[in-house]
Amino acid sequence: MTTQAYYLPKSVDEAVGLLAEHGPSLLVMAGGTIAMPLINDGISFPERVMGLRRAGLDSISRSNGHHAIGATVTLSRMLTWDEIPLLQKAAHNVGGWAIRNMATVGGNLFAPPPSGDFAVALLALDAQVVLTSAAGQRVVPLNDFYTGFMTTVVQPGELVSEIRVPVPAGQTAYLKFARRETNTPSIVTVAALITLDGQRVSDARLALNGVGPHPFRARRAESRLIGSVLDEAAIAHAGELAAEASDPMDDAVASAWYRRKMIPVMVRRALAQIVAKEASDGI
Amino acid sequence: MASRIVEFTLNGRLTEVMVKPLTTVQTVLREQLGYTATKSGCKQGGCGSCTVLVDGQPMMSCLLPAEDIAGQDVVTLEGLTPRDGLHPLQQAFVDNYAAQCGYCTSGMILVGKALLDSNPEPLRDDIIDALAGNYCRCTAYEPIIEAIQDAAGRMAASNGKEAHR
Ligand SMILES: Cc1cc2nc3c(=O)[nH]c(=O)nc-3n(C[C@H](O)[C@H](O)[C@H](O)COP(=O)(O)OP(=O)(O)OC[C@H]3O[C@@H](n4cnc5c(N)ncnc54)[C@H](O)[C@@H]3O)c2cc1C
Repeated sequence: MTTQAYYLPKSVDEAVGLLAEHGPSLLVMAGGTIAMPLINDGISFPERVMGLRRAGLDSISRSNGHHAIGATVTLSRMLTWDEIPLLQKAAHNVGGWAIRNMATVGGNLFAPPPSGDFAVALLALDAQVVLTSAAGQRVVPLNDFYTGFMTTVVQPGELVSEIRVPVPAGQTAYLKFARRETNTPSIVTVAALITLDGQRVSDARLALNGVGPHPFRARRAESRLIGSVLDEAAIAHAGELAAEASDPMDDAVASAWYRRKMIPVMVRRALAQIVAKEASDGI
Repeated sequence: MASRIVEFTLNGRLTEVMVKPLTTVQTVLREQLGYTATKSGCKQGGCGSCTVLVDGQPMMSCLLPAEDIAGQDVVTLEGLTPRDGLHPLQQAFVDNYAAQCGYCTSGMILVGKALLDSNPEPLRDDIIDALAGNYCRCTAYEPIIEAIQDAAGRMAASNGKEAHR
């Protein structure tokens, strides 16, 4: 079956109107870097598709304490946006140049594992997702966005219109471990944010990707770090707790066993980067 | 829904095509317009052989609905090639033996063009990073990297003498 209709709404209102009219049978597409390969292969054959490139969701603004990133902002744009270095680093770790010119911030939230290398950084930043429908808007913490393997809280009729990122405090680190340096699926990706109060950790956020059904926060590892000094013992213990929280899968890139083994290693490297940054900032 | 007319600029010329819903730029170029320098490789966005420049930026034409580029400026390898002779990037690919089967060449050259437009003196690492989404399965990457470096030198040297497209 071939696609019968392709809509290119010129505004969010028009987009949610089309969603309300056609229901869940209308496939939403932003950059198309996940949706189009499936369509080209005949794995997905939507009767109706809605493209978001012209829906006016591609701006970035700042208002009371957070950055508002439009859902269709491309990862290339995020690469040049230097307000939050963690997001720049994350953007560079998705695909190659042409993919980043197409792939969107909103689309990355829906990426099948082990994709989600941008979403994992948003998770470490406590981002919130704005969902818009014909009935109005609601805001959901990204942490509550995923409900399982490729399932989210997004209801029929809703679009991700914006991602809100609180202006971060603290040091960040981002490491993607993979078979090659760029344009490669994640084995494990770590995004970390640490705030120190003197020598002790006052806030710790440790988000992982590639080692579960979706990007997730390693809460017990975070609790282990909060209140402690960032020494070898604390870092090693946090790495083990993060590995325990994971649920990795086997795929062509790495086995679940290997992915789990690499979690403490990458957590240690990420936290070591933060320790080094703190040390050089202190000078 | 019926086919729609899409107007865009192709290699400097205003172009109008009639497309069925969700027809890709790749299909429009190759099958409707006969511009076959743009290749069809994996159709997954994974190989880069279908790369075209949209408003100067590399994109995978196999993942791009034609309707999305209405009003935009598309450049394919055909557009880079001068009426007589070769573009310095093309000549550098020839001189550095950077093409074997040639299937990836069009995408490689277009990425090189986009890179040199934004960064006329790229470091080796800049070139490698720019090419990360383009696969070559025969001559391998080294001569391709060298060709782009060589072209950067040639274009810098001839800058002022003649204007390149
Ligand atoms: C060669 C290649 C390499 C890649 N490498 C990586 C990588 O290294 N890391 C990584 O994380 N990903 C990678 N990806 C996957 C993908 O490119 C990214 O995850 C990208 O961010 C997806 O965004 P998109 O806009 O293209 O998604 P789309 O294909 O446009 O969207 C996918 C699905 O998400 C939903 N959706 C998208 N936007 C919205 C919205 N605003 N509201 C509601 N629903 C929406 C729809 O259901 C849609 O069908 C790669 C893909 C390719 C082809």
